[in-house]
Amino acid sequence: MILAKLTIQILLGGGSMTFDLLMQYLTNAISLGSLYALIAIGYTMVYGILRLINFAHGEIFMMSLYFAFYGVTLFTLPWYLAFAMAILLTTLLGMVVERAAYKPLRDSPRITIMVSAIGVSFFLQNLAIVLFGGRPSTFPNIKLLTDVIKIGSVSLQKLTLIIPITTLLLLYGLQVLVHKSKTGMAMRAVSKDHETARLMGVDVNKTITITFGIGSVLAAIGGIMWGAKFPAILPTMGVMPGLKCFIAAVIGGIGNITGAVIGGFILGVVEVMLVAYLPSLTGYRDAFAFILLIVILLFKPTGIMGEKISEKV
Amino acid sequence: MTILKTDEITMKFGGLTAVKEFNLGINKGEIVALIGPNGAGKTTAFNMITGVYRPTEGKIKFDGEDITGIKPHDITKGGMARTFQNIRLFKDLSVLDNVFIANHLHLKSNIAEATWGKIQPILASPLSVFKSEKSSFLNKLLSRETNYQREEREVNERAHMLLEKVGLVDLKDEKASSLSYGLQRKLEIARALATNPKVLLLDEPAAGMNPKETNDLTEFIREIREDFDLTIFLIEHHMQVVMDISDRIYVLDHGETIAEGDPYDIQNNDRVIQAYLGVAEDA
Amino acid sequence: MKKRNVILNIFSVIILLLFIWYADKNFDSYKIRVLNLCAIYVILGLSMNLINGFTGLFSLGHAGFMAVGAYTTALLTMSPAAKAQTFFLEPIISPLDKITLPFFIALIMGGILSGLVAFLIGAPTLRLKGDYLAIATLGFSEIIRIIFTNTQTITNGPLGLKSIPNSTNLWWSYGMMLFTLAFIIALIKSSYGKAFKAIREDEIAAESMGINLFKHKSMAFVIGAFFAGIGGGLLGNLLGAINPNMFRSILTFNVLLIIVLGGMGSITGTVLSAFVVTAGLEYLRFLDETINLGFIKIPGVAGLRMVVFSALLMIVVIFFRNGLMGNNEFDWDKFFNFFQRKSLRKKEAQES
Repeated sequence: MILAKLTIQILLGGGSMTFDLLMQYLTNAISLGSLYALIAIGYTMVYGILRLINFAHGEIFMMSLYFAFYGVTLFTLPWYLAFAMAILLTTLLGMVVERAAYKPLRDSPRITIMVSAIGVSFFLQNLAIVLFGGRPSTFPNIKLLTDVIKIGSVSLQKLTLIIPITTLLLLYGLQVLVHKSKTGMAMRAVSKDHETARLMGVDVNKTITITFGIGSVLAAIGGIMWGAKFPAILPTMGVMPGLKCFIAAVIGGIGNITGAVIGGFILGVVEVMLVAYLPSLTGYRDAFAFILLIVILLFKPTGIMGEKISEKV
Repeated sequence: MTILKTDEITMKFGGLTAVKEFNLGINKGEIVALIGPNGAGKTTAFNMITGVYRPTEGKIKFDGEDITGIKPHDITKGGMARTFQNIRLFKDLSVLDNVFIANHLHLKSNIAEATWGKIQPILASPLSVFKSEKSSFLNKLLSRETNYQREEREVNERAHMLLEKVGLVDLKDEKASSLSYGLQRKLEIARALATNPKVLLLDEPAAGMNPKETNDLTEFIREIREDFDLTIFLIEHHMQVVMDISDRIYVLDHGETIAEGDPYDIQNNDRVIQAYLGVAEDA
Repeated sequence: MKKRNVILNIFSVIILLLFIWYADKNFDSYKIRVLNLCAIYVILGLSMNLINGFTGLFSLGHAGFMAVGAYTTALLTMSPAAKAQTFFLEPIISPLDKITLPFFIALIMGGILSGLVAFLIGAPTLRLKGDYLAIATLGFSEIIRIIFTNTQTITNGPLGLKSIPNSTNLWWSYGMMLFTLAFIIALIKSSYGKAFKAIREDEIAAESMGINLFKHKSMAFVIGAFFAGIGGGLLGNLLGAINPNMFRSILTFNVLLIIVLGGMGSITGTVLSAFVVTAGLEYLRFLDETINLGFIKIPGVAGLRMVVFSALLMIVVIFFRNGLMGNNEFDWDKFFNFFQRKSLRKKEAQES
């Protein structure tokens, strides 16, 4: 209890910040962290199973926002239907990308498949520019989510609570899936060794596709919540979050789901709180992620939850 | 005279002790073998001695100097070369290049000199074709053999000689990966020899060879010891080779040294026979 | 070298020089710009191939090196008047406001500074393996870009630099291209180049053969960055204006795609690919414009060019994995052998 009070005193920076403002920042940090976590999981799962940095994941995220946007504006669906449809379409997109662009290259050197991922990322970005135009669109405002409520003296958007709660629920569900279901076991087996898993009767292709699907579902849900919080959407909006979330996955220990979540939260919190306390550094906001990355790679390259893999000589 | 000595070297990976308190002493000019069942820690011992792993405990002395923890490239510079259990040739490069590269560590020219040494002939080529008499300064600048070019010529000569010795000179422009298994092993040995070592470590040189090939190999190892004034330390499972060629043998089992002595002693050592479950005569 | 080959080489260079002289006098500015870009991308491609293709280092930091070179060359060649005009938010720091250097010196300085940055970045990151090196270099490239976006008094921040003298002409770009080509070819053929390839093939074996991994990786990295800096400098003084947004990671990927398409172990491949890709991208511009076929007009769709380009790229990567040339280089001997064999077979077919 004393520790908590002490922490809050330190955080208040001896008067430079009010309690309300601090709460605002903290809740924003946690929201951003949750969103990063959801996207980071997709990266870490795909890397774990294919040793591939899925550069196109940021674009999958971006597409989910556009799917939801057009669902509401063009097809005038009620928001919950539009969102559901968006999630479905995004998942399909993720799985199609895997089959079309990664599966044919599974036996190729790593750089080839990486180039393919970059190619997909290019392709989707440019396709989005052609289809949706290069100017920003505005994500539909869902009153249910963006209404402001008051807790004590702090006013928050409902969204600020919904995001972390949704994330934690999804994480719990995912852990159950990975550790308690047959699919999850298949995923873990394929992550260790494709050949052995195949010999044990696991349908490796199907498992890989499912992994992409799950990653895409999470990215889509993250995307929709992102859109609700930051309504300006652009075809190029997936690039920075994509890079940062991959970094989050590395910080947490690439291949490790819990690590990805931890990494996502660390990144979100550092980004928001550093700007909160040092507003002059706002321009460098995006650089924090990269600096954190370099630090982790220098001191603990396998990440916070990572295990050391040594090569047999 | 002891040229290679290890002092209680131990290798621990987390909770697993791969090699425990290994004491090795090799004299100049000897051929010493390291044997033991699979997983006994033999390659791990090699890796410690060649700097690939840093021993958890203990010291290694080479030619009087403490080399514990020194990086592999410096150890090779100091005169110790090795081959690998799983053959690590430069697959996409030619046979000649594989041996050529092993000479790089002795190169005195720096990168600028080396690059100039290769550009110079390109610039000089028009002169040689048109035999220009007037620009003798240019001729001098562009036609004289530079230090690097001389070094490269010498390295090429040496590489050719080595390849002749192992019988690979006709295949010198072939890709290393296109060679047969037996020839690949020979190439790896030639490559190691190109670094001009005092001590040569061979990791299972006879693996996968038929009886005729192993006989040739035994002869070959004796020859190179003579011709190149080498000391040889080898890991082997082919007992015929080991017993034929070794002056002394060390036996490891589960990381521990269970015997040491000359071939006769080892062949009749109960603990050794037990470790191999009675299969001591041939591999 | 065979006499015939030497003559062919000299002949080719002369033809190239004649072509440049003719183009410089007669082509319109658009075509000249494309030709310049081709040469610049050859330099960029070769410099990246040295690091990624020949030494096997998974580096994604090229855009950062290009940025350093571009900004250095630009700042050193802009006139004080141009600087005063461009830096209207905050004036540029002294003594940069007064310095103006000749183009060649500014280019070399850009390259050197780029190499220096690479040396500093390399110290921590070159110890990392594979994918980790990739994202570390990507990270540094982004950090450089973000720093350039925020240092108003040196780089003019997000506004970027304008009124950069258009010093890059066909002679400069092709001249530097030939220099880069000769240097890289010589380097790769030398003992050091073979050491780089050994590191690519098998690092552990290379180290055990006495090659100091860190020292050699640094060498490849720094030299690659040097030429990337020169390429960046040429680019800046071609376009006349640069800003940090130009040097996002997409630029690195552009160059990466060129070297993959050409074949990562091949110098010839990179040269060919740079021309094909740069010219191809320009050619595809017609997709963005309205196509007038006389009796119908097909409206252009903005951005379609890039969509088609990325799709084509995907197809090449998936179906032609080793790129155009794989690991092979062009050789006059092989060239003639090919035709000799063809005519021999024809003869045999006719006789039988």
